[in-house]
Amino acid sequence: MENNKINRNSILIRRWKKFKTLKRGYYSLIILLSLYITSFFLPLLINNKALIVKYEGKFYFPIITGFISGSTFDQNVPGEARYRSLKKSFSLDEGRGNWLIMPLYPYSPYEDITYDGNKMYDPPSLKHWLGTDNTGRDVFARLCYAFNISISFALILTILNYIVGILIGGAMGYYGGKFDLIFQRIIEIWSSLPMLFVIIIISSILKPSFFLLIGIYTLVNWISMTYLIRAEFYREKAKPYVAAALSMGQSNFKIMFKHILANSLVPIITYFPFAVVAGISALVALDFLGFGLAPPTPSWGQMLDVGLANISKWWMVFSPVLAQFLTLLAIVFIGEGVREAFDPKVYSRLR
Amino acid sequence: MPPKALKELERFYGFDKPIYERYLSWLGVWPREIKHRDFSAPKNAESVEKRVGKKDGKIWKVDVFLKESSPTVYEKDGQLSKIWFSRIDKINEDGTLDLVIFQKEFSGILTGNLGKSYTYLKPVTEVMKPRFKISLFFGLTGIFLSYLVCIPLGIKKALNHGTTFDFGSSVIIFMAYSIPGWALGGVLLVLFGGGSFFDVFPLGGFRSPSEVWDTLTPLQKILDQIHHMILPIIAWSISSFATLTVLMKNSLLENLSQDYVRTAFAKGIRETRVIWYHAMRNSLIPIASGIGHIIGFVIAGSYLIERMFNIDGFGRMAYEAILARDYPITLGFLVIVVIIRLLGNIISDLVLAMVDPRIRFK
Repeated sequence: MENNKINRNSILIRRWKKFKTLKRGYYSLIILLSLYITSFFLPLLINNKALIVKYEGKFYFPIITGFISGSTFDQNVPGEARYRSLKKSFSLDEGRGNWLIMPLYPYSPYEDITYDGNKMYDPPSLKHWLGTDNTGRDVFARLCYAFNISISFALILTILNYIVGILIGGAMGYYGGKFDLIFQRIIEIWSSLPMLFVIIIISSILKPSFFLLIGIYTLVNWISMTYLIRAEFYREKAKPYVAAALSMGQSNFKIMFKHILANSLVPIITYFPFAVVAGISALVALDFLGFGLAPPTPSWGQMLDVGLANISKWWMVFSPVLAQFLTLLAIVFIGEGVREAFDPKVYSRLR
Repeated sequence: MPPKALKELERFYGFDKPIYERYLSWLGVWPREIKHRDFSAPKNAESVEKRVGKKDGKIWKVDVFLKESSPTVYEKDGQLSKIWFSRIDKINEDGTLDLVIFQKEFSGILTGNLGKSYTYLKPVTEVMKPRFKISLFFGLTGIFLSYLVCIPLGIKKALNHGTTFDFGSSVIIFMAYSIPGWALGGVLLVLFGGGSFFDVFPLGGFRSPSEVWDTLTPLQKILDQIHHMILPIIAWSISSFATLTVLMKNSLLENLSQDYVRTAFAKGIRETRVIWYHAMRNSLIPIASGIGHIIGFVIAGSYLIERMFNIDGFGRMAYEAILARDYPITLGFLVIVVIIRLLGNIISDLVLAMVDPRIRFK
């Protein structure tokens, strides 16, 4: 048992070492991972709320406590305090000891034209790095928030798809017979439907939230995994170790998910990055068509849609496409590296 | 809303029937009620005369007998009517009856009738036909061009595996794979169609509007068509470009490392002949079998590009139908797409059997 474990680990370690030598994929993984982790702290980096305010000897933490009305700081504005103009007024009279720290990029993805001198269709400048959109929202801020949402969406989606696909595909391959036959027919019927179109129809009726959209997508997309898993389980179940486990009295569930699954990890892992790519593309397409996440959620597809409606404002088209492109490119590089590491194909050629 | 109008609407959208009946009549195996006429009968009446229209230039009247369990319609010559049927809609409190007289018709997708569009007020098939032609035109051109580029490129990459050319083209392929065709279309539009950079291509549309189109000479028409098609076709074929090229390359590489190629070399056959005759025949098998899948995919997956380029095609029609809640078109689109995909799968199987001598139909 112990020996077995070491062996399996050593295979994984060997593959990881091989993956590390593939620089393109390895660096993509590092960059993407660090960007994704950073993106969870976006409210601290890109926001219009101050991190700390010291006013008249008292400290305020608007980023944690949320809403603080403008009158607290003697600001003559309706509703919430405008921290950017507050900072300006603080710097004008320095003697009173008031100060505040703004996030690195002091614009929120949701503040629109009604807020603090925002303008529609502001071209990229030092103030708004990627300009503003049709309602005066900062494109760069929205881009960054959309990055987090897109990747989270695709990751959750892919993992859910994997769970459903592995359960059903695994059962199909393992049990075979009538169960396999019935599910194969169901899958054939289901897979002949145009998936994106079905999602659009359902979304047009339901007006989905983040998790409902994932649910709808999983409902139509679990199929793609079952092919892979079914074939893998079908092949593996004929091997002697399964017979050995069976004769030892292991339960079917344990055989399927402890023994066979562990031995069919290669296609599962190598397919993962490409499933994530498909998930992100689908989300952007749905948002572009207006059937994705509900506005005003920042999303690349919605930004692209606005950009194309105002085609002379190039920054609104280029920035979401470029963001999507770079993200997907990084994931494709990772996928290529993973495949190379897990499933190396050496082509020999005779001359 | 007056109850009469509400009833009309209910009848128009079919909500007065249970769902299984609606589904079966949509399929065309259950009679659909058409040419409704409402009328009412006084209390305890034995029969009512109802004018139902004109036949042979004369006014056509039928008698509706109410004494049986359900109303029966008789022609004036005493025969049971084969065309008109009647049912009781509602029994009022004062004993009078609200009746409906109607004709029955079997029409559904099995009889080739996809219903009538709510927005275009035309039969769905009529709405689809011209748009389908446009999409088919784009799709087939896109498939043809991408095969024309991908197969030679894939072969060249496989033969020069590991060289600078292979590496350089791989970079382009990775980029093509990472950008969805329709998003690339948006960038192309801004770059070459928007006027903010280069104003080379039109902003969209299948061809020039008909007022301009009709004045053009045949040669100008061809040029105009190409002018409008360049950007959408690039967007259309970019996604299959990446997958097809890689497929072709890997397939040829795989075959070149097989034993039979070694045997062929050992027999002293020239290299060109080994590659182009022996290995190529086997490497084209996966490419050829994918063609049916691509046909189905191209036609169904085009609404993004059609919306992007403002082409009045099949996909955009379906997309707009969803926006307008035009369910006959939505369902009709689904039916057609599924049929095309099934046909595509059959084509794939047939082509596979054609190019792969190991597969035989018994």
